Amino acid sequence: MPAGLDKLRHFVVLMMENRSFDNMLGSLKAINPAIDGISDELSNPDTTGAIVKPQPLAEFQGQLIPDPDTHFAAVDLQIFSGNTHPNRRANMQGFVKSYFNRVRDVRHSQMIMYYFKRTDLPVLTTLALEFAVFNRWFASIPGPTVCNHSFAHYGTSFGSVGMSLLNVNESVKSTFERLTHERPGHSAKLYYYDMSSSVLGIMNLPRKEPRLFGTYERFLSDCETGTLPDYSFVSPNYSDHDSARGCEVASDQHPDHDVQAGEVFIASVYNAIKNSPLWPNTALLIVYDEHGGLYDHVVPPVCIPDQFAASVNDIGTGMPFVFDRLGVRVPAILVSPWIPKGTVVNRVFDHASIPATVTNFFLRDYAARSLRETSADVFIEPNVAPIDPTRNLLSLNVMRTDCPDFDV
Amino acid sequence: MTLIHVPRPRQSALDPDRPINALLKAQIEQLHEAETALPLHLRTTIFVKAIKTEGEAANYIRAVTEAIHKAHADVKAQRGQRTGAKGKRVIEIAAIAAEEAERTRTNRARTNRARSKKTKSRAKAMRSRKNSAK
Repeated sequence: MPAGLDKLRHFVVLMMENRSFDNMLGSLKAINPAIDGISDELSNPDTTGAIVKPQPLAEFQGQLIPDPDTHFAAVDLQIFSGNTHPNRRANMQGFVKSYFNRVRDVRHSQMIMYYFKRTDLPVLTTLALEFAVFNRWFASIPGPTVCNHSFAHYGTSFGSVGMSLLNVNESVKSTFERLTHERPGHSAKLYYYDMSSSVLGIMNLPRKEPRLFGTYERFLSDCETGTLPDYSFVSPNYSDHDSARGCEVASDQHPDHDVQAGEVFIASVYNAIKNSPLWPNTALLIVYDEHGGLYDHVVPPVCIPDQFAASVNDIGTGMPFVFDRLGVRVPAILVSPWIPKGTVVNRVFDHASIPATVTNFFLRDYAARSLRETSADVFIEPNVAPIDPTRNLLSLNVMRTDCPDFDV
Repeated sequence: MTLIHVPRPRQSALDPDRPINALLKAQIEQLHEAETALPLHLRTTIFVKAIKTEGEAANYIRAVTEAIHKAHADVKAQRGQRTGAKGKRVIEIAAIAAEEAERTRTNRARTNRARSKKTKSRAKAMRSRKNSAK
Protein backbone atom coordinates (compact mmCIF):
# COMPACT_ATOMS: atom_id res chain seq x y z
CA MET A 1 0.00 0.00 0.00
CA PRO A 2 1.49 3.41 -0.94
CA ALA A 3 2.47 5.28 2.21
CA GLY A 4 0.36 8.36 1.41
CA LEU A 5 -2.83 6.35 1.03
CA ASP A 6 -2.00 4.17 4.00
CA LYS A 7 -1.67 7.22 6.24
CA LEU A 8 -4.66 9.13 4.86
CA ARG A 9 -7.31 9.76 7.50
CA HIS A 10 -8.82 13.19 6.75
CA PHE A 11 -10.36 14.86 3.72
CA VAL A 12 -10.83 18.62 3.63
CA VAL A 13 -12.72 20.33 0.81
CA LEU A 14 -12.57 24.11 0.40
CA MET A 15 -15.14 25.37 -2.10
CA MET A 16 -14.64 28.87 -3.48
CA GLU A 17 -17.05 30.75 -5.72
CA ASN A 18 -17.67 31.64 -9.35
CA ARG A 19 -14.34 31.64 -11.19
CA SER A 20 -13.36 29.72 -14.30
CA PHE A 21 -10.15 27.75 -14.82
CA ASP A 22 -8.86 30.10 -17.51
CA ASN A 23 -9.68 33.17 -15.41
CA MET A 24 -7.62 31.97 -12.42
CA LEU A 25 -5.09 29.43 -13.72
CA GLY A 26 -4.99 30.11 -17.46
CA SER A 27 -1.67 31.96 -17.11
CA LEU A 28 0.07 28.77 -15.97
CA LYS A 29 0.24 27.27 -19.45
CA ALA A 30 3.19 29.59 -20.04
CA ILE A 31 4.97 28.03 -17.02
CA ASN A 32 3.94 24.42 -17.59
CA PRO A 33 2.63 23.58 -21.08
CA ALA A 34 0.89 20.49 -19.67
CA ILE A 35 -1.58 22.82 -17.92
CA ASP A 36 -4.41 23.48 -20.38
CA GLY A 37 -4.65 27.25 -20.02
CA ILE A 38 -4.62 30.30 -22.24
CA SER A 39 -3.08 30.19 -25.68
CA ASP A 40 -2.93 32.66 -28.55
CA GLU A 41 -5.62 31.21 -30.77
CA LEU A 42 -8.45 31.56 -28.24
CA SER A 43 -11.14 34.23 -28.69
CA ASN A 44 -14.81 35.14 -28.50
CA PRO A 45 -16.82 37.50 -30.72
CA ASP A 46 -18.46 40.50 -29.12
CA THR A 47 -21.89 41.80 -30.09
CA THR A 48 -20.44 43.87 -32.95
CA GLY A 49 -18.72 40.80 -34.38
CA ALA A 50 -15.24 41.96 -33.35
CA ILE A 51 -12.84 39.28 -32.12
CA VAL A 52 -11.94 39.56 -28.42
CA LYS A 53 -8.94 37.64 -27.15
CA PRO A 54 -8.24 36.66 -23.52
CA GLN A 55 -5.92 39.17 -21.88
CA PRO A 56 -4.09 39.16 -18.52
CA LEU A 57 -5.90 42.29 -17.39
CA ALA A 58 -8.17 40.91 -14.67
CA GLU A 59 -8.30 43.11 -11.57
CA PHE A 60 -9.05 42.03 -8.03
CA GLN A 61 -12.26 44.03 -7.89
CA GLY A 62 -14.33 46.56 -9.79
CA GLN A 63 -14.59 45.09 -13.29
CA LEU A 64 -17.45 42.61 -12.98
CA ILE A 65 -20.29 44.87 -11.81
CA PRO A 66 -22.93 43.58 -12.15
CA ASP A 67 -21.78 40.02 -11.60
CA PRO A 68 -22.18 37.81 -14.68
CA ASP A 69 -25.31 35.74 -15.13
CA THR A 70 -24.89 32.02 -14.43
CA HIS A 71 -28.48 30.86 -14.64
CA PHE A 72 -28.97 27.87 -16.87
CA ALA A 73 -30.11 29.81 -19.94
CA ALA A 74 -27.18 32.24 -19.70
CA VAL A 75 -24.62 29.42 -19.40
CA ASP A 76 -26.27 27.70 -22.34
CA LEU A 77 -25.62 30.85 -24.37
CA GLN A 78 -22.00 30.94 -23.16
CA ILE A 79 -21.40 27.31 -24.19
CA PHE A 80 -23.46 27.13 -27.41
CA SER A 81 -23.33 30.78 -28.48
CA GLY A 82 -27.08 30.93 -29.02
CA ASN A 83 -27.40 27.82 -31.18
CA THR A 84 -30.61 26.01 -30.24
CA HIS A 85 -30.58 23.36 -32.94
CA PRO A 86 -31.17 19.84 -31.55
CA ASN A 87 -27.85 18.59 -32.99
CA ARG A 88 -25.86 21.65 -31.97
CA ARG A 89 -22.21 21.49 -30.95
CA ALA A 90 -20.69 23.40 -28.06
CA ASN A 91 -18.12 26.02 -29.13
CA MET A 92 -17.56 28.21 -26.00
CA GLN A 93 -18.15 31.35 -28.09
CA GLY A 94 -20.98 33.03 -26.20
CA PHE A 95 -19.30 34.51 -23.11
CA VAL A 96 -18.97 38.09 -24.31
CA LYS A 97 -22.50 38.05 -25.77
CA SER A 98 -23.88 36.71 -22.49
CA TYR A 99 -22.15 39.38 -20.39
CA PHE A 100 -23.33 42.07 -22.81
CA ASN A 101 -26.90 41.05 -21.92
CA ARG A 102 -26.05 42.08 -18.33
CA VAL A 103 -24.05 45.26 -18.87
CA ARG A 104 -25.34 46.58 -22.23
CA ASP A 105 -21.89 48.03 -22.96
CA VAL A 106 -19.57 46.56 -25.59
CA ARG A 107 -16.28 47.55 -23.92
CA HIS A 108 -17.44 46.36 -20.52
CA SER A 109 -18.67 43.05 -21.91
CA GLN A 110 -15.19 42.25 -23.24
CA MET A 111 -13.81 42.15 -19.69
CA ILE A 112 -15.35 38.69 -19.29
CA MET A 113 -12.32 37.45 -21.29
CA TYR A 114 -9.74 38.86 -18.86
CA TYR A 115 -7.62 36.50 -16.76
CA PHE A 116 -5.20 36.91 -13.85
CA LYS A 117 -1.44 37.04 -14.20
CA ARG A 118 0.36 34.42 -12.21
CA THR A 119 1.89 37.05 -9.94
CA ASP A 120 -1.59 38.34 -9.03
CA LEU A 121 -2.50 34.99 -7.43
CA PRO A 122 0.60 33.79 -5.59
CA VAL A 123 -1.35 31.35 -3.42
CA LEU A 124 -3.55 29.57 -5.96
CA THR A 125 -0.90 29.42 -8.67
CA THR A 126 1.79 28.19 -6.26
CA LEU A 127 -0.46 25.43 -4.99
CA ALA A 128 -1.37 24.47 -8.58
CA LEU A 129 2.30 24.20 -9.54
CA GLU A 130 3.45 22.53 -6.32
CA PHE A 131 0.74 19.85 -5.98
CA ALA A 132 -1.89 18.36 -8.32
CA VAL A 133 -3.90 20.57 -10.69
CA PHE A 134 -6.88 19.13 -12.54
CA ASN A 135 -7.11 20.06 -16.22
CA ARG A 136 -10.62 18.65 -16.50
CA TRP A 137 -12.62 19.44 -13.33
CA PHE A 138 -16.00 20.82 -14.38
CA ALA A 139 -18.98 22.24 -12.55
CA SER A 140 -21.58 19.48 -12.25
CA ILE A 141 -24.21 21.31 -14.23
CA PRO A 142 -24.06 24.28 -16.61
CA GLY A 143 -25.86 26.47 -14.11
CA PRO A 144 -25.59 28.42 -10.89
CA THR A 145 -24.24 27.97 -7.40
CA VAL A 146 -26.92 26.19 -5.38
CA CYS A 147 -27.35 23.18 -7.62
CA ASN A 148 -23.61 22.81 -8.04
CA HIS A 149 -23.14 22.90 -4.28
CA SER A 150 -25.78 20.21 -4.07
CA PHE A 151 -23.73 17.90 -6.28
CA ALA A 152 -20.77 18.44 -3.96
CA HIS A 153 -22.81 17.30 -0.94
CA TYR A 154 -25.32 14.80 -2.37
CA GLY A 155 -23.96 13.77 -5.77
CA THR A 156 -27.12 15.21 -7.32
CA SER A 157 -29.24 18.36 -7.32
CA PHE A 158 -32.52 16.41 -7.26
CA GLY A 159 -33.56 17.86 -10.61
CA SER A 160 -32.79 21.47 -9.74
CA VAL A 161 -30.97 23.75 -12.17
CA GLY A 162 -31.62 26.97 -10.26
CA MET A 163 -30.99 28.78 -7.02
CA SER A 164 -34.11 27.73 -5.12
CA LEU A 165 -34.17 25.62 -1.99
CA LEU A 166 -33.49 22.02 -2.89
CA ASN A 167 -36.27 19.50 -3.00
CA VAL A 168 -34.16 16.92 -1.19
CA ASN A 169 -35.17 13.36 -1.85
CA GLU A 170 -34.59 11.24 1.23
CA SER A 171 -33.34 8.32 -0.89
CA VAL A 172 -30.02 10.15 -1.33
CA LYS A 173 -28.20 11.38 1.76
CA SER A 174 -25.48 13.97 2.02
CA THR A 175 -21.91 12.90 2.68
CA PHE A 176 -22.26 14.27 6.21
CA GLU A 177 -25.28 12.10 6.94
CA ARG A 178 -23.73 9.00 5.41
CA LEU A 179 -20.65 9.24 7.58
CA THR A 180 -22.37 10.11 10.84
CA HIS A 181 -25.83 8.54 10.61
CA GLU A 182 -26.19 5.92 7.95
CA ARG A 183 -22.95 4.18 8.85
CA PRO A 184 -21.94 5.58 12.25
CA GLY A 185 -18.32 5.34 13.18
CA HIS A 186 -17.10 8.26 11.14
CA SER A 187 -17.21 12.00 11.59
CA ALA A 188 -17.98 14.96 9.33
CA LYS A 189 -18.45 18.68 9.68
CA LEU A 190 -19.25 21.70 7.55
CA TYR A 191 -17.30 24.70 8.76
CA TYR A 192 -18.94 27.95 7.68
CA TYR A 193 -17.07 31.20 8.10
CA ASP A 194 -19.26 32.71 10.83
CA MET A 195 -22.93 33.11 11.73
CA SER A 196 -23.28 36.08 9.38
CA SER A 197 -22.00 34.01 6.46
CA SER A 198 -23.64 30.72 7.42
CA VAL A 199 -24.30 27.83 5.04
CA LEU A 200 -25.45 27.79 1.46
CA GLY A 201 -27.65 25.45 -0.45
CA ILE A 202 -28.14 22.70 2.13
CA MET A 203 -30.50 24.50 4.44
CA ASN A 204 -32.28 21.28 5.35
CA LEU A 205 -29.20 20.07 7.22
CA PRO A 206 -28.79 22.85 9.82
CA ARG A 207 -32.55 22.66 10.35
CA LYS A 208 -32.23 18.99 11.29
CA GLU A 209 -28.61 18.42 12.30
CA PRO A 210 -26.94 21.51 13.76
CA ARG A 211 -24.22 19.36 15.31
CA LEU A 212 -22.78 18.81 11.82
CA PHE A 213 -21.79 22.47 11.64
CA GLY A 214 -19.06 24.63 13.09
CA THR A 215 -17.41 27.97 12.40
CA TYR A 216 -14.08 28.66 10.73
CA GLU A 217 -12.63 29.54 14.13
CA ARG A 218 -13.49 26.03 15.20
CA PHE A 219 -11.81 24.63 12.06
CA LEU A 220 -8.58 26.43 12.93
CA SER A 221 -8.78 25.13 16.47
CA ASP A 222 -9.51 21.57 15.30
CA CYS A 223 -6.49 21.71 12.99
CA GLU A 224 -4.28 22.90 15.83
CA THR A 225 -5.45 20.25 18.25
CA GLY A 226 -5.43 17.47 15.68
CA THR A 227 -9.16 16.82 16.05
CA LEU A 228 -10.42 17.36 12.54
CA PRO A 229 -13.26 15.02 11.57
CA ASP A 230 -12.78 12.43 8.84
CA TYR A 231 -14.46 14.76 6.35
CA SER A 232 -14.52 18.55 6.50
CA PHE A 233 -16.14 20.99 4.11
CA VAL A 234 -14.98 24.58 4.52
CA SER A 235 -16.90 27.59 3.23
CA PRO A 236 -15.39 31.06 2.81
CA ASN A 237 -17.02 34.30 3.91
CA TYR A 238 -19.86 35.20 1.55
CA SER A 239 -20.28 38.88 2.47
CA ASP A 240 -18.63 42.05 3.75
CA HIS A 241 -19.91 42.55 7.28
CA ASP A 242 -19.12 43.60 10.80
CA SER A 243 -18.31 41.08 13.47
CA ALA A 244 -17.07 41.00 17.04
CA ARG A 245 -13.56 40.76 15.57
CA GLY A 246 -14.02 43.87 13.45
CA CYS A 247 -14.74 44.14 9.73
CA GLU A 248 -14.86 40.92 7.76
CA VAL A 249 -14.08 41.13 4.06
CA ALA A 250 -15.81 38.59 1.82
CA SER A 251 -13.31 35.89 0.86
CA ASP A 252 -15.28 33.71 -1.57
CA GLN A 253 -13.91 35.47 -4.72
CA HIS A 254 -17.44 35.68 -6.12
CA PRO A 255 -17.55 38.75 -8.38
CA ASP A 256 -17.30 41.52 -7.31
CA HIS A 257 -15.68 40.48 -4.02
CA ASP A 258 -11.96 41.14 -3.70
CA VAL A 259 -9.97 38.27 -5.14
CA GLN A 260 -6.98 39.02 -2.88
CA ALA A 261 -9.15 38.43 0.19
CA GLY A 262 -9.82 34.96 -1.19
CA GLU A 263 -6.10 34.37 -1.68
CA VAL A 264 -5.55 35.21 2.01
CA PHE A 265 -8.32 32.78 2.99
CA ILE A 266 -6.98 29.93 0.87
CA ALA A 267 -3.52 30.49 2.35
CA SER A 268 -5.02 30.48 5.84
CA VAL A 269 -6.74 27.12 5.27
CA TYR A 270 -3.57 25.64 3.76
CA ASN A 271 -1.35 26.94 6.58
CA ALA A 272 -3.74 25.63 9.24
CA ILE A 273 -3.56 22.11 7.81
CA LYS A 274 0.15 22.22 7.03
CA ASN A 275 0.98 23.32 10.56
CA SER A 276 -1.36 20.76 12.08
CA PRO A 277 -0.19 17.40 13.46
CA LEU A 278 -2.59 15.95 10.84
CA TRP A 279 -0.66 17.25 7.81
CA PRO A 280 0.76 13.81 6.91
CA ASN A 281 -2.75 12.32 7.14
CA THR A 282 -4.81 14.92 5.27
CA ALA A 283 -5.73 15.68 1.68
CA LEU A 284 -7.05 19.16 0.88
CA LEU A 285 -9.13 19.75 -2.26
CA ILE A 286 -9.50 23.40 -3.31
CA VAL A 287 -12.26 23.74 -5.91
CA TYR A 288 -14.67 26.33 -7.27
CA ASP A 289 -18.40 25.67 -7.44
CA GLU A 290 -18.97 27.14 -10.91
CA HIS A 291 -17.28 29.35 -13.46
CA GLY A 292 -19.17 32.54 -12.62
CA GLY A 293 -19.89 33.37 -16.26
CA LEU A 294 -16.18 33.91 -16.89
CA TYR A 295 -14.50 32.64 -20.03
CA ASP A 296 -13.10 29.16 -20.34
CA HIS A 297 -12.12 27.47 -23.58
CA VAL A 298 -12.69 23.78 -22.80
CA VAL A 299 -15.99 22.31 -23.98
CA PRO A 300 -17.79 20.58 -21.09
CA PRO A 301 -18.22 16.88 -21.88
CA VAL A 302 -21.42 14.89 -21.86
CA CYS A 303 -21.94 12.51 -18.98
CA ILE A 304 -24.23 9.77 -17.67
CA PRO A 305 -27.68 11.34 -17.07
CA ASP A 306 -28.94 11.62 -13.51
CA GLN A 307 -32.11 9.85 -12.39
CA PHE A 308 -33.75 13.26 -11.82
CA ALA A 309 -34.93 15.50 -14.67
CA ALA A 310 -35.17 19.27 -14.66
CA SER A 311 -38.41 21.17 -15.04
CA VAL A 312 -38.68 22.84 -18.45
CA ASN A 313 -39.83 26.04 -16.74
CA ASP A 314 -36.67 26.16 -14.62
CA ILE A 315 -34.34 25.58 -17.56
CA GLY A 316 -35.44 28.66 -19.49
CA THR A 317 -34.16 27.49 -22.87
CA GLY A 318 -37.25 25.64 -24.07
CA MET A 319 -35.17 22.46 -24.39
CA PRO A 320 -35.16 19.53 -21.96
CA PHE A 321 -32.15 18.80 -19.75
CA VAL A 322 -31.47 15.45 -18.13
CA PHE A 323 -28.18 16.33 -16.43
CA ASP A 324 -26.22 14.70 -19.22
CA ARG A 325 -23.74 17.51 -19.74
CA LEU A 326 -21.27 18.95 -17.23
CA GLY A 327 -20.85 22.64 -16.50
CA VAL A 328 -17.94 24.90 -17.42
CA ARG A 329 -14.43 24.06 -16.20
CA VAL A 330 -13.34 25.35 -12.79
CA PRO A 331 -10.02 25.50 -10.92
CA ALA A 332 -9.37 22.40 -8.81
CA ILE A 333 -6.20 21.57 -6.89
CA LEU A 334 -5.40 18.63 -4.61
CA VAL A 335 -2.88 19.29 -1.84
CA SER A 336 -0.98 16.67 0.13
CA PRO A 337 2.65 16.18 1.13
CA TRP A 338 2.51 12.82 -0.70
CA ILE A 339 1.80 14.33 -4.14
CA PRO A 340 4.76 14.89 -6.46
CA LYS A 341 5.45 18.47 -7.42
CA GLY A 342 4.00 19.49 -10.78
CA THR A 343 1.32 16.81 -11.02
CA VAL A 344 -1.23 17.49 -13.77
CA VAL A 345 -4.37 15.34 -13.92
CA ASN A 346 -6.27 14.92 -17.19
CA ARG A 347 -9.12 12.62 -16.16
CA VAL A 348 -12.61 14.14 -16.05
CA PHE A 349 -14.13 15.09 -12.70
CA ASP A 350 -17.08 17.09 -11.43
CA HIS A 351 -18.43 17.86 -7.97
CA ALA A 352 -20.15 14.47 -7.72
CA SER A 353 -16.59 13.15 -7.48
CA ILE A 354 -16.43 14.60 -3.97
CA PRO A 355 -19.11 12.42 -2.31
CA ALA A 356 -18.00 9.56 -4.58
CA THR A 357 -14.39 9.77 -3.37
CA VAL A 358 -15.15 10.30 0.32
CA THR A 359 -17.83 7.60 0.42
CA ASN A 360 -15.72 5.06 -1.46
CA PHE A 361 -12.79 5.71 0.86
CA PHE A 362 -14.61 5.48 4.19
CA LEU A 363 -17.71 3.40 3.47
CA ARG A 364 -16.65 1.16 0.56
CA ASP A 365 -19.88 -0.52 -0.58
CA TYR A 366 -22.42 2.17 0.36
CA ALA A 367 -25.12 1.85 -2.29
CA ALA A 368 -27.72 4.64 -1.98
CA ARG A 369 -26.23 7.08 -4.46
CA SER A 370 -27.35 8.99 -7.54
CA LEU A 371 -26.53 7.78 -11.02
CA ARG A 372 -24.25 10.76 -11.50
CA GLU A 373 -22.26 9.95 -8.38
CA THR A 374 -22.04 6.30 -9.23
CA SER A 375 -20.50 7.19 -12.60
CA ALA A 376 -18.20 9.97 -11.30
CA ASP A 377 -14.45 9.36 -11.11
CA VAL A 378 -12.70 9.51 -7.74
CA PHE A 379 -9.68 11.71 -7.10
CA ILE A 380 -8.26 9.55 -4.31
CA GLU A 381 -8.27 5.79 -4.57
CA PRO A 382 -9.80 3.77 -1.73
CA ASN A 383 -6.93 2.32 0.31
CA VAL A 384 -7.66 -1.23 -0.71
CA ALA A 385 -5.05 -3.27 -2.56
CA PRO A 386 -4.27 -3.49 -5.37
CA ILE A 387 -3.82 0.22 -6.03
CA ASP A 388 -3.56 1.32 -9.65
CA PRO A 389 -0.34 3.39 -9.72
CA THR A 390 -1.53 5.34 -12.76
CA ARG A 391 -4.52 6.63 -10.78
CA ASN A 392 -2.99 7.16 -7.35
CA LEU A 393 -2.06 10.83 -6.86
CA LEU A 394 -0.59 10.29 -3.38
CA SER A 395 2.26 8.36 -4.94
CA LEU A 396 5.41 9.47 -3.13
CA ASN A 397 7.12 6.90 -0.89
CA VAL A 398 8.58 9.60 1.30
CA MET A 399 6.66 12.61 2.54
CA ARG A 400 7.78 15.93 1.06
CA THR A 401 9.56 18.43 3.25
CA ASP A 402 9.75 21.16 0.62
CA CYS A 403 6.09 22.26 0.62
CA PRO A 404 5.62 26.04 0.49
CA ASP A 405 4.57 28.26 3.37
CA PHE A 406 2.48 31.38 3.00
CA ASP A 407 3.17 34.53 4.93
CA VAL A 408 -0.40 35.58 5.77
CA MET B 1 10.88 25.69 2.42
CA THR B 2 9.70 28.60 0.34
CA LEU B 3 7.94 31.39 2.22
CA ILE B 4 5.59 33.22 -0.09
CA HIS B 5 4.27 36.64 0.75
CA VAL B 6 0.50 37.08 0.39
CA PRO B 7 -0.63 40.68 -0.02
CA ARG B 8 -3.64 41.78 2.02
CA PRO B 9 -6.65 43.30 0.26
CA ARG B 10 -6.90 47.08 0.20
CA GLN B 11 -9.08 48.89 2.76
CA SER B 12 -11.41 49.87 -0.06
CA ALA B 13 -12.19 46.18 -0.67
CA LEU B 14 -14.62 46.29 2.26
CA ASP B 15 -18.05 47.59 1.34
CA PRO B 16 -20.99 46.39 3.46
CA ASP B 17 -23.19 48.71 1.36
CA ARG B 18 -22.43 46.73 -1.79
CA PRO B 19 -25.64 45.49 -3.42
CA ILE B 20 -26.28 41.82 -2.74
CA ASN B 21 -25.30 39.33 -5.43
CA ALA B 22 -27.24 36.31 -6.68
CA LEU B 23 -25.60 34.03 -4.11
CA LEU B 24 -26.69 36.17 -1.16
CA LYS B 25 -30.18 36.59 -2.61
CA ALA B 26 -30.53 32.81 -2.76
CA GLN B 27 -29.17 32.43 0.76
CA ILE B 28 -31.68 34.98 2.10
CA GLU B 29 -34.57 33.21 0.37
CA GLN B 30 -33.53 29.85 1.73
CA LEU B 31 -33.02 31.10 5.25
CA HIS B 32 -36.37 32.86 5.08
CA GLU B 33 -37.93 29.51 4.24
CA ALA B 34 -36.14 27.99 7.23
CA GLU B 35 -37.29 30.87 9.44
CA THR B 36 -40.95 30.12 8.75
CA ALA B 37 -40.50 26.74 10.42
CA LEU B 38 -39.14 28.25 13.62
CA PRO B 39 -41.27 28.89 16.71
CA LEU B 40 -42.81 32.36 16.60
CA HIS B 41 -40.74 33.73 19.46
CA LEU B 42 -37.50 32.91 17.61
CA ARG B 43 -38.40 34.52 14.27
CA THR B 44 -36.85 37.82 13.30
CA THR B 45 -38.78 40.99 12.57
CA ILE B 46 -36.68 41.66 9.47
CA PHE B 47 -38.57 42.27 6.22
CA VAL B 48 -36.49 40.24 3.77
CA LYS B 49 -37.77 42.03 0.67
CA ALA B 50 -36.15 45.21 1.99
CA ILE B 51 -32.66 43.68 2.20
CA LYS B 52 -30.51 45.38 -0.41
CA THR B 53 -26.93 45.42 0.84
CA GLU B 54 -24.38 42.86 1.99
CA GLY B 55 -24.34 44.30 5.51
CA GLU B 56 -28.13 43.97 5.77
CA ALA B 57 -27.95 40.46 4.37
CA ALA B 58 -25.28 39.49 6.90
CA ASN B 59 -27.42 40.78 9.79
CA TYR B 60 -30.40 38.74 8.64
CA ILE B 61 -28.35 35.61 7.98
CA ARG B 62 -26.77 35.79 11.41
CA ALA B 63 -30.12 36.32 13.13
CA VAL B 64 -31.76 33.30 11.50
CA THR B 65 -28.72 31.04 11.84
CA GLU B 66 -28.53 31.83 15.55
CA ALA B 67 -32.28 31.25 15.87
CA ILE B 68 -32.01 27.81 14.27
CA HIS B 69 -29.28 26.84 16.70
CA LYS B 70 -31.32 28.24 19.60
CA ALA B 71 -34.40 26.27 18.53
CA HIS B 72 -32.44 23.05 18.57
CA ALA B 73 -30.85 23.90 21.90
CA ASP B 74 -34.27 24.61 23.43
CA VAL B 75 -35.67 21.29 22.28
CA LYS B 76 -32.64 19.45 23.59
CA ALA B 77 -33.03 21.14 26.96
CA GLN B 78 -36.73 20.22 27.13
CA ARG B 79 -35.91 16.67 26.19
CA GLY B 80 -33.42 16.55 29.03
CA GLN B 81 -36.03 17.77 31.50
CA ARG B 82 -38.56 15.16 30.36
CA THR B 83 -35.96 12.42 30.63
CA GLY B 84 -35.07 13.64 34.13
CA ALA B 85 -38.75 13.63 35.26
CA LYS B 86 -39.33 10.31 33.59
CA GLY B 87 -36.26 8.90 35.24
CA LYS B 88 -37.49 9.97 38.69
CA ARG B 89 -40.86 8.34 38.05
CA VAL B 90 -39.16 5.14 36.97
CA ILE B 91 -37.15 5.12 40.16
CA GLU B 92 -40.32 5.62 42.24
CA ILE B 93 -42.08 2.79 40.47
CA ALA B 94 -39.10 0.53 40.98
CA ALA B 95 -38.98 1.39 44.66
CA ILE B 96 -42.65 0.63 45.14
CA ALA B 97 -42.29 -2.66 43.29
CA ALA B 98 -39.35 -3.59 45.42
CA GLU B 99 -41.32 -2.85 48.57
CA GLU B 100 -44.21 -4.96 47.37
CA ALA B 101 -41.92 -7.81 46.50
CA GLU B 102 -40.37 -7.61 49.94
CA ARG B 103 -43.82 -7.63 51.56
CA THR B 104 -44.81 -10.65 49.52
CA ARG B 105 -41.68 -12.49 50.48
CA THR B 106 -42.18 -11.65 54.12
CA ASN B 107 -45.82 -12.73 54.07
CA ARG B 108 -44.98 -15.92 52.27
CA ALA B 109 -42.25 -16.69 54.73
CA ARG B 110 -44.59 -15.98 57.60
CA THR B 111 -47.25 -18.17 56.06
CA ASN B 112 -44.80 -20.93 55.43
CA ARG B 113 -43.56 -20.71 59.00
CA ALA B 114 -47.10 -20.78 60.28
CA ARG B 115 -48.00 -23.71 58.04
CA SER B 116 -44.92 -25.52 59.10
CA LYS B 117 -45.77 -24.95 62.78
CA LYS B 118 -49.31 -26.24 62.25
CA THR B 119 -48.06 -29.26 60.38
CA LYS B 120 -45.57 -30.04 63.10
CA SER B 121 -48.07 -29.73 65.89
CA ARG B 122 -50.60 -31.91 64.02
CA ALA B 123 -47.94 -34.52 63.45
CA LYS B 124 -47.00 -34.38 67.13
CA ALA B 125 -50.63 -34.78 68.14
CA MET B 126 -51.05 -37.83 65.89
CA ARG B 127 -47.93 -39.45 67.27
CA SER B 128 -49.18 -38.84 70.77
CA ARG B 129 -52.56 -40.46 70.01
CA LYS B 130 -50.80 -43.45 68.46
CA ASN B 131 -48.60 -43.86 71.45
CA SER B 132 -51.58 -43.65 73.77
CA ALA B 133 -53.41 -46.29 71.74
CA LYS B 134 -50.51 -48.67 72.20
